[in-house]
Formats: sequence, structure tokens, C-alpha cells
Amino acid sequence: MLSRVAESLFWMARYVERAEDLTRLLAVNFISQLDSHSGDAQQSWQSLIGIAGHDKLFHDTYDKANVRSVTEFMLWGAENPNSVIACITNARENARSTREQISSEMWECINRMYFLMRNTSHSEVLTNPTEFFHQVRDRTHAFQGITSATMTHSEPYQFIQLGLHLERADKTARIIGVNYLPLVQLAGGSAESSLGLITLLRFCSAFEPYRRTVAGQISPESVAEYLLLNREFPRAVLFCLNACLNRLARIGDGASNTTRSDSPRRVLGRLEADLEYLDIHDVLGENMEPFLSNFLVRLNHVGEEIARTYFNTNIILPDERPRQQQQQQQ
Amino acid sequence: MNESILNNPYNASPFYDEMFSSPGEPRLHYRVLHQYLQNMTATMFEERRRVSDTAFLYQGITFTVYGEEQGIERIFPFDLIPRIIPFAEWQYIERGLTQRVTALNLFLHDIYHDQRILREKRIPSELVFSSRHFRPEMMGMNIPKDRYIHVVGTDIVRSDDGNYYVLEDNMRSPSGVSYMLENRQVMKRTFADLFSRYNVSPVEHYPQELLAALRAVVPHDYSDATVVLLTPGIHNSAYFEHTFLARQMGIEIVEGRDLVAHQNKIYMRTTDGLKLVDVIYRRVDDDFLDPLVFRKDSVLGLAGLLNAYRAGNVTIANSIGTGVADDKAVYAFVPEMIRFYLGEDPIINNIPTYLGWREDELEYILKNIDKLVVKAVNESGGYGMLVGPHASKEERENFRERVAANPRNYIAQPTLALSRHPTFLEDQLHGCHIDLRPYVLYGDKVVVVPGGLTRVALRKGSLVVNSSQGGGSKDTWVLRD
Repeated sequence: MLSRVAESLFWMARYVERAEDLTRLLAVNFISQLDSHSGDAQQSWQSLIGIAGHDKLFHDTYDKANVRSVTEFMLWGAENPNSVIACITNARENARSTREQISSEMWECINRMYFLMRNTSHSEVLTNPTEFFHQVRDRTHAFQGITSATMTHSEPYQFIQLGLHLERADKTARIIGVNYLPLVQLAGGSAESSLGLITLLRFCSAFEPYRRTVAGQISPESVAEYLLLNREFPRAVLFCLNACLNRLARIGDGASNTTRSDSPRRVLGRLEADLEYLDIHDVLGENMEPFLSNFLVRLNHVGEEIARTYFNTNIILPDERPRQQQQQQQ
Repeated sequence: MNESILNNPYNASPFYDEMFSSPGEPRLHYRVLHQYLQNMTATMFEERRRVSDTAFLYQGITFTVYGEEQGIERIFPFDLIPRIIPFAEWQYIERGLTQRVTALNLFLHDIYHDQRILREKRIPSELVFSSRHFRPEMMGMNIPKDRYIHVVGTDIVRSDDGNYYVLEDNMRSPSGVSYMLENRQVMKRTFADLFSRYNVSPVEHYPQELLAALRAVVPHDYSDATVVLLTPGIHNSAYFEHTFLARQMGIEIVEGRDLVAHQNKIYMRTTDGLKLVDVIYRRVDDDFLDPLVFRKDSVLGLAGLLNAYRAGNVTIANSIGTGVADDKAVYAFVPEMIRFYLGEDPIINNIPTYLGWREDELEYILKNIDKLVVKAVNESGGYGMLVGPHASKEERENFRERVAANPRNYIAQPTLALSRHPTFLEDQLHGCHIDLRPYVLYGDKVVVVPGGLTRVALRKGSLVVNSSQGGGSKDTWVLRD
């Protein structure tokens, strides 16, 4: 397939996933802060901006982080390059440039998503956002289901899945990074700590799966372990890396030039192995933050290797070998 | 609002009305439709229209309007009342188009080779050589099957005498065929009950016919030739159509930056390395195809493309330099081409055309500009034209000066009374002017898919049907025998 198309599909998937993750953060936080004191509420909104990585941009425009300002900034903020509407617009533009690869159903779905974001009245959403959050969530879920059900699972599909899982791994790691440390500092077993951990799990839509898997008292250690190292929960970091590796294996499959495709697999494989054999106790407490920042740098590097290998291919001319042979004969 | 939309008939005269032979009296092939509309109120109709508009919007069947705020996407206005063409009439159109396209292709081959038609003075050679789209780079070059025009979108109109005339032959890269196909889909969805009462020829196989025509001109004898569609990119107003056709044909859609020229061969960059390309169905104009030969500032094409074409390693469809036959002054000589190459009389006539290039005709144009339609010879899409009777005094003066300053660049035609068709506007039926663009494919042989794009002027009284000028479209039903 065309390199440009592979790149567009990869980013289309990343942007849809990002839009979903950002919306879920808003939705979960909106519900959970209804239970908390006003000071904590502001803190929780502030930390959302932290996950999105846009503290400075936010404070250039808004004085205070609260439900209105953060929701507005993250959904539509014109100055925010990763607002939900920007993600969906970018996803749609990428989809548009690959219209012949994706199914008509996918295109229709992403269009509906786009018009939903564009045509909804901001003030109505800000008054009662939950319904809107659900609509966005349903559309992004529908998009993933439609993708799986209507597209052939060949190379283009593998690039979509690759983008999606890379984005998920990144988001889950960031969510842990921002929320974990404050929770460790709370008294274990307190109501505050439990509520905080439940919110953290919900940020990754992991509360119910976690509850079914992990017995006993909810603790920062077990939550961190679950979100990082679970192999069955689809938003756990290790699960996502595994998925990426599997996709890469299938992308490399038909390659005539196998050495070329090794590089992303190598960097990703090392990263995955480090998680695979991680002793969770080594990264608990104060060690979590350095561990996660290092992880995110390496994950970013995986993305760069994928781009270098598949998207900006160096031109290897098809007739170079025969020419060398001719020269030898002379 | 509870009465039938037929209850408020418009006055059809003095135009030829496609549906009504006399007030309230539908032509034979429109009777079923007429009866159907009898039971339809404006409210009911509006409801179906809402459904079809939503379908177009969500499927992203939109075009971009140039010159307006960026990001303006419009759906191409669609009128749900179908235009119906009886079988015998279609056979006539089909024969006429086949004849015309065959002659035009022979003409292109001739002027890029022996130039017999010029040497025998049947067409003035100055006219051909001065055409902006004549490409000397194509001289003497042999291309597969001598095929220059693989896809043609001929514009046909019906005048008040009831006869069809060819308005123009679009041989560069005519667009709109995706609307022909999508309009049919939407009609089947919103008017299934009506559709099933007619015996309508299908059009859905157009992309397969197009692919067959493109495969017919593969440069070598491959069984697994790679055909690609070259698009200017997502900002082109016809981008939707490019992706639509590529998807329906199952071929890659490429931009110039996806291609590489090496040793007179063309490759595309894939995740699996470079892959050889054999046929390029290009939707990029000549000017932008190859910056080494044509416009040097073009980033839409590929440096080295023309050389690869010349070396016979890749086929470009349509070929380069076909626009010379689109020149509106050269158009005037198509009947002559038909006589010269085929020894036949034209089946479908041209519209009488006055050339600014001929002194006596120039004088006539300048004197009668208020009665004529004046057109710049190289423009398309409804740009660069003046409809004399509808223009203001200043506009006419302005055009008169332009024509006088550059007579070769202008032609004029009598203002045609284009036929009208009932069209639903603001909760009732109006007679709106229409034309017809059938799509002609020429690979191994000439194939005309039975149907086409009926364009309709949605501004009341307007004669301009182009989408860039407020036109819309209708589904076109060619009946089977």
C-alpha cells in the first residue's frame, strides 16, 4: 500500500482514539467531582489539563481550571491543537485522503461524528454535558466496531490498529503518570483514596474489569499494576504494546525487504520485554514518575521508527541489483 | 400544503418542456411519474428531500466552493424528480456520441502526426496551432491503440425545436460521473416504489467499464498491470469523485508526491518499497502534470512523467494535449472532422457558432452581443462567458472590449432556449433549464453508459447549469426497450 495512505490511516486511528480518551476523561471527572469539595474539584480539573499536556496553553486563555473552562478548552478550544473537535477534524481529513481505502460506512460514521461536534450548541453542552459525552463515546466506539466489521483485515487495517493501540498505550501511561502519585500520598484505605483510585480506573474505563480481576482492598499498587501490566484488559499498557507487536508482525509479512521492517519491531519489542519482565515493586511510589517519563520517551521513539520505516521510505531503486551484476560482468 | 404538487402548474411555453407536451398533458414516457406525483403533497416531497440531503451530507458527497471562506463544503443540490429518456431517443444519442468521439480521437491522432486535415485545409492550421491546449511535445509520439480520449463528458442540450445539440465536448478530465452514480443510489433509496414502476437501464457498472477502458491501453502486455488514479489532492473540488472512482475500481489513488520517476519508469512509494505503475488515470490538468515540461511551479505532478510516457513505459489517460479539441473555436469544426475522417454526416448537430477569429463573424458578434452567448474558448465550468440577453450594459461593454482585443479567444452562439424540466423548488414545481452530460469511454471500443448527469439551473430563469454557478442535478433514467 502507499506510504502516504498508511500514514493517514495510522493517524486517523490515533486521532479518533485520542478524541475518545479525552472525552472520557471529561465525562468521568464531571461525575466524580460532583462528590468532592470545591478545592479538590479544581485540582481534578487542573490535572486533566496535565494529562492532555497543555498547561501553558490553557493558562494563556483561562484563569481558573473549573468544569466550564476545562470542558470548553478540551472540547473546542481554538487555541488547543488537541481539542476533541481538532482530533475529529484531523481524523476526518485523514479519512478523506484515504477514502478509497476505508469503507463507506467508516466514512459516514466519521462524518456524523464531525457534524455532531460542529453543530452542537456549546452552551447546551456546558449546562448538561453528560448526554453529549455519551454521544461522542458511542460514535467513537461505533467507529471502531464499524472498522473491524466492514474493512478487510489486510495491511491498511493493521496500520489502523497499530495507531489505535499506540495511542492507547500513551494515554493510559499519561493518566497513571498524573494521578498515581497524589493517590499514594493519601492514607491507604481512606474513602478519599478509594474514590480517587476508582476515578483513576474509570479514566481508563477499567473499574469494572479491575474489580472482576483483582480481589481484596483497592490499592494504588494493585491499580498501577493492573493498568500497566494486565494482558487481557484492552487499555492496559502491556496489552496495547502486545497488540502493536502483533500488528507489526503482520505488516512485515509480505515485505520483500525484511531488514527494513525490523527496526520498529526491535525498539517496540525491547520496550515490551522491559514491561513484560518488570517487577512492579521497582516502580512503585516515587519511582513511578521517572519510570513513566522514560517509558513515554521510548514509546515516542517507536512512533518515530514506524514513520521512518513505513511513511518516509528511503527510495531503494528496483533495478540497482541487476546493474551491479552487469558491471561485474564487464 | 395538502394538495398535490401538480396542482399548481407553471407555464411551460415558450420552451420545450421535457415532461409536458401541452399544459397538464404529460408525454408518454412521463405518464407513470405524473400519476405518481398526483398523490404527492409538498410536505411529503419535502420529507423525502430531507432524507436524501442528509444522506448526501453524511456520506460526504460534497464539493468545495472556491473563492469563499475556507472549509465551505456544499452538497451538490439534487432534485428528486428524475429526467426520463425513452429508449429510441437514447439510441440516437448513443450513435451520435460514438460517431463524434471516434472522429475526435482520429482528429487528435492526425494533428499530432501527419496533419492531413490541416494540409487539406479542412480546418485552418493557425486555429489549431494557436490553441492554448495544443502540445507540440506530443508531436510524432505513438501511444497505445492510438487512443487519446479515454473518457469524454459531452454536454448535450435540447432546444425549443425539440432537437438535441452538442454544446461542448469535454476531453480533458470531465467530472461529475460520481454524481450520476450517487444520484441513482439516492433515488433508489428514496423513491424505490416509483423506480420499480419504470424499466430503467442500470449505470452502476460505469467504474468497471472505466477500468476496462484503462486496462485496454496498458503499455505492455501484462496481465497484472497497475492502474492508478492521479489526484491533485483533498483540496480539489472533485476530490470526492476521485476517491469514489478509485474505490469502485479497486485501484490506488495517488498524488504527485507518491510517485517517483526513474529511468523513464514510474513507481509509487509503498510500505513495501517502490512499485511499478502502468496506467495513470489522471485528474490533473496538462499544465500541472510534469514541471520539467509544463508549468515549472507545479507540485501536483511528477518531474519525468512525460519522458516515461514517451518511452512507452506508462500510459496517461486522457492523453496530453487533448484540450486542443476542447477549444471552443475548434469545436466549430467537429462536423467537418466527422465528414473528413468518417465520410458521414453528423448525427447530432453542433450549435451554430460564430468565431471571433473570422473577420466577418467578429463583426457580427460585436454588433449582436446582446442576443448572443459569448464564450472564452479555453474556459470551462461556466466561467468566462456572457449570456447577452441577461447581462447588464456594462457587462456587455466589458465583453465587447475583451472580444475586440483578442478575437481568437472568443466565440459566440445564439442564446439557446434550453429545454425545461419540472423541478421542486420552494414547495412547488417550476420549469428549470437542463442539459445532459453522458459519459463516453473509449478503450477497445466506444462505450456509452446509458444515463448521465442531468444538470439543472436552480436559479429561476438561469441558463447556466454548472455547479459552480448555482446549478444542481437530477437522476437520468434511460428506459430499456
